[in-house]
Amino acid sequence: MASQDTLSVSEVTPERTWRRFKFPGSLYRYLGLLAAVAFLSLSVNYLNIPLDRFLGMFGRVGDLITDRYYPPDIEYVTDPDYIASVIETIQMAYLGALFGMLAAVPLGWFGAYNVSPSRRFIYPIARLLTMSARAVHETIWAILFVTILGFGMMAGVFALTMFCIGFAGKLFAEEIEAIDMGPVEAIRATGANEFKVMVYGIFPQVRVAFTGIGIYTWDVAFRAATVVGFFGAGGMGWYLKRNVLQIETQRVAAILLSIVVLVLISEAISAFARAKVAKAK
Amino acid sequence: MPILSVSDLKVRYSTSGPEILKGISFDVEPDDFFAIIGPSGAGKSTLIRCINRLVKPTSGKIMLYGDDVLRLGARELRRVRRSTGMIFQEFNLVNRMSVMDNVLSGRLGHVGNLRALFRQFSRQDIARALSVLDRVGLSDHVDKRADELSGGQRQRVGIARALMQDPKLLLLDEPTSSLDPKISREVMALIVEIAKEYRVPVLCNIHDVKLAMEFCNKMIGLQDGVKMFDGPTSAMNEGKLNDIYAMEVL
Ligand SMILES: Nc1ncnc2c1ncn2[C@@H]1O[C@H](COP(=O)(O)OP(=O)(O)O)[C@@H](O)[C@H]1O
Ligand SMILES: [Mg+2]
Repeated sequence: MASQDTLSVSEVTPERTWRRFKFPGSLYRYLGLLAAVAFLSLSVNYLNIPLDRFLGMFGRVGDLITDRYYPPDIEYVTDPDYIASVIETIQMAYLGALFGMLAAVPLGWFGAYNVSPSRRFIYPIARLLTMSARAVHETIWAILFVTILGFGMMAGVFALTMFCIGFAGKLFAEEIEAIDMGPVEAIRATGANEFKVMVYGIFPQVRVAFTGIGIYTWDVAFRAATVVGFFGAGGMGWYLKRNVLQIETQRVAAILLSIVVLVLISEAISAFARAKVAKAK
Repeated sequence: MPILSVSDLKVRYSTSGPEILKGISFDVEPDDFFAIIGPSGAGKSTLIRCINRLVKPTSGKIMLYGDDVLRLGARELRRVRRSTGMIFQEFNLVNRMSVMDNVLSGRLGHVGNLRALFRQFSRQDIARALSVLDRVGLSDHVDKRADELSGGQRQRVGIARALMQDPKLLLLDEPTSSLDPKISREVMALIVEIAKEYRVPVLCNIHDVKLAMEFCNKMIGLQDGVKMFDGPTSAMNEGKLNDIYAMEVL
């Protein structure tokens, strides 16, 4: 039973309307959408993708795999030399991630706008360093360090360090920017300097998140480590390059397979460890 | 001589923004329990955070322990802060640290960087922390994480942390507003007792006028950044309260 006071639907005057997207904003949305579609069609047009060849590709890939890459030369990847290069790759990823994160913690702190010790000087410098490390692809870092340091694992470790600084530095800074500022102020109010504020007010709030990011960084660094060897920076990538150049396709197949398996394993370990850490709060 | 003397304090949060405090002056004497009352948004938190320069005023003068707070360099500012305890409405404990570590962090103005990093506090500091925790009634919760405690217990940790500083002045920003009425009263009574025992003057923001009238000996009334009342609690009356809170009724 409807009470007398309730408005029935028919009583509401139909002149009252409401739009989710109001006028100038709605126009920008449509213009943005239009621009995106226009750019897509332009790109496709420019690429001049021949549809028949594109579709035929799948059949040829099948032939190629069965003719040349199958069966993979499993014996080749169980050779002690190759195993040694795998271990070298793991070590490179470990060292690169370690050094990278040691640098990324202070960079993340300095580059977090809410707590940076100096917004005018230290903050932009930290942001610039992190962004530069990110802007350059890990393979390019590898090429750079190979030219500076020569072939071998050291160049690889440096390249991965730069990669991890960019990767973890940004994530660390973002994590710090999301903390509760209350405890930070409370610690500051005790007369603590900025370093002690970091140790007592900031770090306990991000420790768990940092651990998770650290594991993730190692995982991503390992994936990157498998290719830096392609440019002579140590690890299994070198074997890949040599066999690609010598058209040893069945060995290439085995190496690619081993990379896939190793990355899967490292991802599984990383996912497991991160789940554990997340539960620890 | 007053322990704190504020004169013509003005604050804007941004150059084009509104003036939040419009020329506030008052003195706090060594045995005062001083309340700042006023409707929310009046500028009470802003005022109290200016005293230890968590907020930087636009102009005016703050004399604290004989130091001109607004002219201090970073190092001297930390020296003043370390003698000034602060207790917050939201407790502002570090949730993932133990009660003990939270309380010990009150000594951070005194320990060196390396000792702070490895949490190597002196035996005197630890003994003091234990006795302060006894005093606020938390001796059974020393090793618990801060976020395992109830609201009232957390504020007691906040009180203990402030006492660790051996403060010459306590700044309280609505210390009981996050607590239910019964606990509020207990915590407020505890703070009053402790202030007497440790002979610390207190400057306390408080929204609840009844608590202020009961526990404080002086008060100033703030409305929209302007001081409407300044005097002993006994001089406060219904009419003046209505003036101060007039804005809120609207
Ligand atoms: N960090 C800040 N930036 C800009 N404005 C602020 C900030 N803090 C407080 N204010 C403004 O200052 C006024 C007073 O706030 P506050 O001092 O918190 O009042 P109270 O503690 O009496 O409720 C409010 O209008 C508030 O919006
Ligand atoms: Mg307030």
